[in-house]
Amino acid sequence: MPANSPVKNPPEERLVNLVVALVATEQGLTKDTILTSVSGYREQSEAGASKDALEKMFERDKEALRRLGVPIETIGDWADPDDLREARYRVPTAEYELPEDIVFTPAELALLNLAGGVWSESSMSAEARSGLRKIRALGIAVDEPIIGYSPRISLREPSFAALQQAIEQSRVVTFPYLKPGEAAPRTRRVQPLALVEYGGRWHVFGVDLAAAADRTFLLSRIVDDVSITRDTFDPALREGAGERALSGLDDVAARHHALLEVNPGTEAALRLSRRALPADQGIRLPYVDVHVLADELASYGPEVRVVEPDELREQVIARLEAAHAAHGGVA
Amino acid sequence: MSARKQLVATDRAALMLQLVPYLIGKGEVSIAEAADEFDVTPDQMRAMVETLTVIGLPGDGGYWQMANDLFDIDWDLLDERDIIVITNSVGLERTPKLTAREAAALLTGLQLARAIPGVGDTELFAGLLAKLSRGASSTPADVILAPGPVDAVRDAVAEALRTGVAVSFTYKAPDADPTTRTVDPVKVLIATGEWYLQGWCHLREAMRTFHLDRVSDLSLTDIPIEHGEEPVPEWFETGGGDIVARIRFPVSVAPLLGDYLDRATVETVDGVCTATMRVADPNSLRRLAARRAGAVEILEPESARRAAASWAEAGLVQYR
Repeated sequence: MPANSPVKNPPEERLVNLVVALVATEQGLTKDTILTSVSGYREQSEAGASKDALEKMFERDKEALRRLGVPIETIGDWADPDDLREARYRVPTAEYELPEDIVFTPAELALLNLAGGVWSESSMSAEARSGLRKIRALGIAVDEPIIGYSPRISLREPSFAALQQAIEQSRVVTFPYLKPGEAAPRTRRVQPLALVEYGGRWHVFGVDLAAAADRTFLLSRIVDDVSITRDTFDPALREGAGERALSGLDDVAARHHALLEVNPGTEAALRLSRRALPADQGIRLPYVDVHVLADELASYGPEVRVVEPDELREQVIARLEAAHAAHGGVA
Repeated sequence: MSARKQLVATDRAALMLQLVPYLIGKGEVSIAEAADEFDVTPDQMRAMVETLTVIGLPGDGGYWQMANDLFDIDWDLLDERDIIVITNSVGLERTPKLTAREAAALLTGLQLARAIPGVGDTELFAGLLAKLSRGASSTPADVILAPGPVDAVRDAVAEALRTGVAVSFTYKAPDADPTTRTVDPVKVLIATGEWYLQGWCHLREAMRTFHLDRVSDLSLTDIPIEHGEEPVPEWFETGGGDIVARIRFPVSVAPLLGDYLDRATVETVDGVCTATMRVADPNSLRRLAARRAGAVEILEPESARRAAASWAEAGLVQYR
């Protein structure tokens, strides 16, 4: 390191100083002004840090702040919008601050407190708390807390966070997807549009680019990291995607029915009958995924017998045979 | 309060952007209270407040900032009484918008809260959804929970909680005979569409958790609840039982076992996991073994291993 190594202020100081400067300016600040006057850059400028290094730092800081939701606006040259040499940067107050007309009633805040507490241990829990903190800083009175209920969402799938980020940024993802019955995972290339919990399982809904069609994937079958590519897609595709995904899954369930005979009074009867319709011979159960249902039905052992469809019956039999063999049963 | 994670610079910057409106709104607040609100330690909070005093508007033409261009606090109050008061502010007074992810976390939580009978009406929810969407700095990703079935048992339990009376019902635990219970309801746990009632069981004279799917013939009694103040078990209580069970499975299956492994000790060698746990009824593991088609193998106790084989066999007999 050179002897005149610049004083290093903690980066968070520089980031917050940058926000203060960009919020305070109406007409915007040029990069040169920022690098020579905003504390954090200024000291390093004065200590002789290279312009190149400072500009790179500024670019990184802008990205970091945008990720925190700070809307940094770039005002380019009016005559040549691509020429960023004289660009000015600012944070428009109206887009940075929570609008003045958004107020929350004490009843709404009580409900939000309950809603914010549902994310057990996942990173979404920190996000919910941070969101609540911002709302609480508005200084609203809160009703008595809603007691007697402890709703929880469990999120064990490691792919969730990357998929959510890709949806926010409207970026194409790729991931290895292992369908039951296939020997090896296949890489899928998908425009992710929504995350949906259905039947107690997380799914990602989106456009499968190889098939050029909407598809729904189970997160538990994504067997390795999700990569977010540089390819983007039209964010308009995201509008109403959650509803489309839900109705798509409902449609699938409406088309697939299993006919089951269930022994009364058993665990199977209790768990299945509430989701099923009575039939002449047993119950008729709508389902989305034959493998997922076969897992559940196999667990009930002798408590349930699959009448139809054949595929489901074979899947259940295969599971029972495998479980039997694994525990020393004679085939 | 909650687990405190390691903060990186951008996390600290995000917190400081929230800290200013919070402190201005409070006027005067103790280090301890502010630390609790921000999920940081008191030392971290003190450091953030001290950092705030070197933040301010840009200096002019290379000069250092003037004092009134910087945030300032009442140092005496901080040093002597651990109290934070901002005495000069240079911006950031209004709460920032929510990030897309913060909004998504709350929006999804609201969908779950909405399933609770008697908590908020449609209008209240619709209003909140609109405010959160408009209060976000960019469009949150759709994170949707499919609504669960409407259910008379859930409504009745909600009614009993509200009015503070015991409920009576038939309970059929897996692999056990049905029993009739009278329970002082204390709390309803909701997880992945399943509802659990926690309450004081008059039969067992202790706090118990009941899966509402296994409850039938539920009715409200006119017995006022007496044990509502007793501590309730933790979420899916650990400990389990007296019998040690061991299971073996490929590491790829581990994410599918969730709740089971929460209370297990797991060793992994060459991609194969062995989990040791305490269970009340080891025979109940036969259901897990059948569900995972032999990918989960029960090693001990031997009786549970045999139970798994005969459970699968009894299932297979139906198809012969």
